[in-house]
Amino acid sequence: MKHIVAIYCIAAFKKTQDVVYNLRKTVFQMIQSIIKRDGRVVLYDQNKIAAAILKAMEVSGEGNAADAARVANDVQRELESKFLSDSPHIELIQDLVEQQLMNHGFNAAAKAYILYRANRTRAREASTSLMKTIDEITNIDARISDMKRDNANIDGNTAMGSMLQIGAAGAKAYNEMYLLRPEHAKAYREGDIHIHDFDFYSLTTTCCQIDILKLFHGGFSTGHGYLREPQSIQSYAALAAIAIQSNQNDQHGGQSIPNFDYAMAEGVAKTYRKAFSRRLRDVIEDYFDLPDEAEAIGAIIAGAEAATGETAKLVSAPSYVEAVVKGLCEHYEMSAEMAHKMVERSAKRSELKTDRDTKQAMEGFVHNLNTMHSRAGAQTPFSSINYGTDTTPEGRMVIRNILLALEAGLGHGETCIFPIHIFKVKEGVNYNETDPNYDLFRLSMRVSAKRLFPNYTFLDSPFNLQYYVPGRPETEVATMGCRTRVMGNVYDPSRQIAYSRGNLSFTSINLPRIAIESKGDEKLFYEKLDAMLELVAQQMLDRFEIQASKHIYNYPFLMGQGVWLDADKLNLQDDLREVLKHGTLSIGFIGLAEALTALYGQHHGQSEELQQKGLEIIGFMRKYCDRRSQELQMNITLLGTPAEGLSGRFIRMDQKRFGKIPGVTDREYYTNSFHVPVWYPISVYDKIRLEAPYHALCNAGHISYVELDGDTAHNVEAFESVVRCMHDFGIGYGSINHPVDRDPICGYVGIIGDVCPRCGRREGEQISQERVDELRRMYPEMPAFQGIT
Amino acid sequence: MTIQTYNEKLGQGVGFERIRRITGYLVGTMDKWNDAKRAEERDRVKHGLNKDA
Repeated sequence: MKHIVAIYCIAAFKKTQDVVYNLRKTVFQMIQSIIKRDGRVVLYDQNKIAAAILKAMEVSGEGNAADAARVANDVQRELESKFLSDSPHIELIQDLVEQQLMNHGFNAAAKAYILYRANRTRAREASTSLMKTIDEITNIDARISDMKRDNANIDGNTAMGSMLQIGAAGAKAYNEMYLLRPEHAKAYREGDIHIHDFDFYSLTTTCCQIDILKLFHGGFSTGHGYLREPQSIQSYAALAAIAIQSNQNDQHGGQSIPNFDYAMAEGVAKTYRKAFSRRLRDVIEDYFDLPDEAEAIGAIIAGAEAATGETAKLVSAPSYVEAVVKGLCEHYEMSAEMAHKMVERSAKRSELKTDRDTKQAMEGFVHNLNTMHSRAGAQTPFSSINYGTDTTPEGRMVIRNILLALEAGLGHGETCIFPIHIFKVKEGVNYNETDPNYDLFRLSMRVSAKRLFPNYTFLDSPFNLQYYVPGRPETEVATMGCRTRVMGNVYDPSRQIAYSRGNLSFTSINLPRIAIESKGDEKLFYEKLDAMLELVAQQMLDRFEIQASKHIYNYPFLMGQGVWLDADKLNLQDDLREVLKHGTLSIGFIGLAEALTALYGQHHGQSEELQQKGLEIIGFMRKYCDRRSQELQMNITLLGTPAEGLSGRFIRMDQKRFGKIPGVTDREYYTNSFHVPVWYPISVYDKIRLEAPYHALCNAGHISYVELDGDTAHNVEAFESVVRCMHDFGIGYGSINHPVDRDPICGYVGIIGDVCPRCGRREGEQISQERVDELRRMYPEMPAFQGIT
Repeated sequence: MTIQTYNEKLGQGVGFERIRRITGYLVGTMDKWNDAKRAEERDRVKHGLNKDA
């Protein structure tokens, strides 16, 4: 019996031991699970803590795996003392890790760990905000969502427009998180600076002036097919549009043709040459009643071309005409007088035919650029064309017809949004009454008074004239879209040309904020401005490093087809660093007027003294750019920023920070670049006089606007006086705004107040079909309205 | 294409197009402008040709 009891006791003792053992296990490993940020409960794993600590140690260069394990052990002990059986939250564990790292004297590792944590938090927040943004893009009507109207030429309500916006939102979140230095990200996020086209940060460059002739010669490939060298004005115009479209897919900014007249003139010459041969054959066949003289005429023309080195032109060389006459006389045994008559008649008819073809080609070009798609159909390409200085008969035919096409408008008489037309004004070419293209300059003003284009660029302004070499069109300053100008070349002073170059990236400074924060202290303002210029330059150089590491195959058209300067000299494995240095990195600014008001109480439109202060500020910025250009042997330039998205973004943030400061933050927008504020009453003369000196300083681009009322704009003399005023004051690039309204019902184009002057309806009102028919009898060109009825 | 009967009314709810220049580009209707730029366009004053205007 005793024995049995003894056995029982042993068993009982063993059981107690098990219980104690189990109890101890619970006491020493009571942290079994943790709570993650999203609320999920997962198994606790001390190794994960040790691994995170080791990473921080490796980054900071202090401590090893054994140290990491020790710190992790202490973290666990702390956890155990605080949490008996509850699951701790991940944030608390991370707090303890920071604490223990410091307790152990690993201060650098603690700092690295804290930074890592902060970054992760930012990434999480960015991701949440990204989802919110995508939600807004997906579900909110663009008419309500300001964010979706950030770029007025993208329709945020369409499928492809939304896709583009979602892509942009994703890219921006990634770029800020992974590509920007923290100080640049902060400055960008908080509105000290604006990094333009930030969605394309890691992908490409801004814009290019396409030398369309170089591209055409020998033919080119769009990446989707090879195109032979064009042989008529229709093909020249069609392929020019395709070139713009193709290049738009390789860059995020606008595309421009700097030599539209010179290039299209070659197409006109080809069309004329063919037309002349055909018309001469017709004339001969008709006169002699012959069935087919193709061979004979072909031989006569080939002989004349070979003998003189000339071809048939709108104004043919006398030697060429004589050679054709001689050929005709010999072959058809006719008198020289008769042969001359036949050549003349053929020339006349060929000119008419060529003019008709050119007109159609130019209309087609304008239609194409307003309807063709880029970026998956979300946009029409941002396009510009420069012309006005080609004085050959072919060039003049191009200029006249492109202006007439612009004047006629689209199918229903709508004003063309694209391309931007830029008329190059030059003394001795088109500015004075005795100049060969003065008639076209006059025509351009008649058209601009109706259609808002062309804008004007002034080659006589000293900062443009310094590059101008007569007979070399590539030295004529040309403009891209919003205002970009690329001319000087520090990297390669032998290539100070407009062709085949463009802007790489630009970042703008919030000038008013620097002024507000300086609290009237001029010295402090300049110190802050200098620091901001440094920050922006560094940020653009960082971006340049990304751009420079790309290859030809990243830009099959821009680089692959040699559109960009020297791209044709690159091998497949070369990076783009050196060729990209032909481009510009531009520092922009916005709100000079508000900055002056914040600093001195008035803006530059209000006093001559403030104008001097304004010029000092912008001159300071330009000096910085020039100095850095020399140091880096790159083109760092100063830009009067176009401010579509920016004007509202900066001021909204500054209103939150500083409240509404009269004349500074009390409107919904900051004033564009160096402009006198749009709301400030000032004469045309004074506005131009005050803004012109800033054009000389802003070598990356500038534009001045003048607002005319409709009556003044339609008076060509008045219009011309404004353009001449711009020329004489040394404006670089200018344009004249006036109201252009259109009633889609009756097709009236002009100024419409509350009531349409043609059909008498108010906005949104209906008119009867009877009235429409009556109007159509009076205005046969009236469009047939096809809309929602 | 819809066939319109005689006397049918046209233009109900159809607004006028107002072409304006915004940062160098023309924009077909102001529907697509962002709020700041709409405000800027609204505030624009005309510039007189007279020097003392």
